[in-house]
Amino acid sequence: MSSITQPRPLLRVRRWAARRWNLELLLWFVSLGTFALVWQFAKTWNIPYLNSLPSITDVVTGASDLVTSPKYAEAWWLSLRRITFGFVAAQIVGIPLGLAMAMSRTTFYTSFPIIEMLRPIPPVAWIPVAIIFWPTRELSVVAIVWLGAFWIVLLNTIGGASNIDVAYKRAALSLGSKPHHIFWKIVLPAAAPSIVTGMAVGMGISWEMVVASEMIAGNNGLGYLLWQSFEINAMDQVIVCMVSIGIAGYISSALIRALGQAITPWQRLF
Amino acid sequence: MPGALSICNAGKVYDPGGLNVVAMDGITFDIRENAFCVVVGPSGCGKTTLLNSVAGFDGLTSGEIFLDGERIAGRGVSAKPGPGRMVVFQNGALFPWKTVLWNVSCGPVQQGRMSRAEAQTKARELMAKVGLSGIEDQFPGQLSGGQKRRVEIVRALMNNPKVLLMDEPFRALDALTKSVVQEFLLEVYDAIPKTVFFITHDLEEAIFLADVVVVMSTRPGTVKRIVKTGLPRPRDHTLLTSPEFLRLYGELEALIHEEAMKAFRAGERELA
Repeated sequence: MSSITQPRPLLRVRRWAARRWNLELLLWFVSLGTFALVWQFAKTWNIPYLNSLPSITDVVTGASDLVTSPKYAEAWWLSLRRITFGFVAAQIVGIPLGLAMAMSRTTFYTSFPIIEMLRPIPPVAWIPVAIIFWPTRELSVVAIVWLGAFWIVLLNTIGGASNIDVAYKRAALSLGSKPHHIFWKIVLPAAAPSIVTGMAVGMGISWEMVVASEMIAGNNGLGYLLWQSFEINAMDQVIVCMVSIGIAGYISSALIRALGQAITPWQRLF
Repeated sequence: MPGALSICNAGKVYDPGGLNVVAMDGITFDIRENAFCVVVGPSGCGKTTLLNSVAGFDGLTSGEIFLDGERIAGRGVSAKPGPGRMVVFQNGALFPWKTVLWNVSCGPVQQGRMSRAEAQTKARELMAKVGLSGIEDQFPGQLSGGQKRRVEIVRALMNNPKVLLMDEPFRALDALTKSVVQEFLLEVYDAIPKTVFFITHDLEEAIFLADVVVVMSTRPGTVKRIVKTGLPRPRDHTLLTSPEFLRLYGELEALIHEEAMKAFRAGERELA
C-alpha cells in the first residue's frame, strides 16, 4: 500500500511510533526485564535449581555491607596488583622472545620444541607446581597470571612479526634504510597490531588465572573473597564478587584497548 | 639526472632442490634515459624477476645490468637496492603506520640529504604540484586504492631516482580507477621526465604508456619482440581509440595471446 493513500494524521502517528518503538529496543527491554524478574523472584516463586539465588534487592543490601568493608577494597587492590605484575612480566618476556623467534631461525628452532611441549598444558594445571616452586603464595599467583598471558602474547608476536609483506622491507631499503634499521622501522610497527591483539586476549586470560589461583593458592584477593563467601554460604556476597570481577575485567580490557589505540593509531581507521 | 639502463644477456635460474627452473634467459635490451619502457608478458614469464634484479632485491645467475655505465647486477656484484632505483610495488608498500606526509618525505631524510622539515616542505610542494593536496595527514588506510598508488609514485619521485621501477602497480585497481591513475602517471612523466621500467600483463596499458614495448615469452622468459610505439605525447584516454593505437594493439595482441596459451598449456602439464 502506498503512503500517499493514507490519511496524513495516521501517517504521522505511525512515523512517531516507528521512531520511538522500534522492535530492537522493545526486545532489549523485554529480555532485560524478564532476566531481572526471574532473578528477583526466583526464590519466592521457588523456581527449580534457581531457588537458592538471592533476589536482586537482597544482593544490593548485602552488597553495601561488603563493598564498604576494608577487606573488599584490599581484595581489589591485591588482585589488580597481581594482574599488573603478571601481565606486564608476560609482555616483557613474551614480546622480545616472540620477535627474536620470528627474526632468527636458530632462536625459533631452539625455543619452539619446548614451547610446543609446554603450551598445551592449561595454566591452571601449573598451580600445584607454582606453589611448590615459588617461595611465597603471592609469587605463585603472579606466576600463574604470567603464564596465562604469556602464551597468547608470544604466539601473537611471532605471528605478527613473521607475516610481514617483504615489499615493506624492500621499500625501506630502496628509500635508504640500512639493513639494521629494518627491525625498528618495519618489523616492530608491522607486528604492533598483532601484539596489541595478543595483549587484549592475554588480559582476559590473566583475570581467569588470577581468580582460579586465588581460589586455590591465595588467602586474599577477589577470587579468594568469592570462594570464602561461598564457603560461609553468603550467596549475596558471591554474586557481588562475581560482578566485581566482571567489572575489573571490563576496565582492564578498556585500558588495553586505549593503550592499543595509542600504540597503533592507524589501526582504528579500518 | 640521466638514467640509461642496459640489460645484457640477463638470466636467472632458480634451483630449489635441484629443480633448475629457468625464470629468464638471455634478456638483452637498452632503455634510453627518460624513456618509458613497458615490459609485457604472461604471468610467470620472469618480468618480476627482471625488475627485482634491476632494483637490487635479487641477483642474476648470468649476464649483467648497467645503469649509466655502473654495473648494478652480474657476477661478483652483490644485489643492493638504493634510492637511484625506486620501486612502486604490485600491492603497494606505503607504510600503513605512518601518515602520507611522513611516507612521502621519509626517503630524503633517511638518506641524510634533507632535514625532516625540509623534506616535508618539499613533499607538500610536490604533492600540490601533482594535485594531491589535503591528504597529507591521513594514514594510507584512509585513502582509496587510486590515491594510494598516486602517493606511492610521488614518494618514489621525492628521491629523484635515475630510474622508476613499476611492478604491475595498477593490477589491483578497477578499470575506471586504473585509467585515472594511468593518466596521472602520464602527466607526472611529462612534468618530471624519468627513465621508467614498467611491467604489466595488460597490453592496452603497455601501449598506452610506453615509448618502447618489450614483449616477453613465457617461461623461460626471453625477449620476443621490441616495438617502438612512436605515439605522440602528451597522451590522454582518447589515444585508446586512435587508429595508430589500435593498429599496434592488433599487431601485438596475437603475440601475447600465443604466449598466454603456451603458459596455460605448460601449467596444465605441470598439474597433470
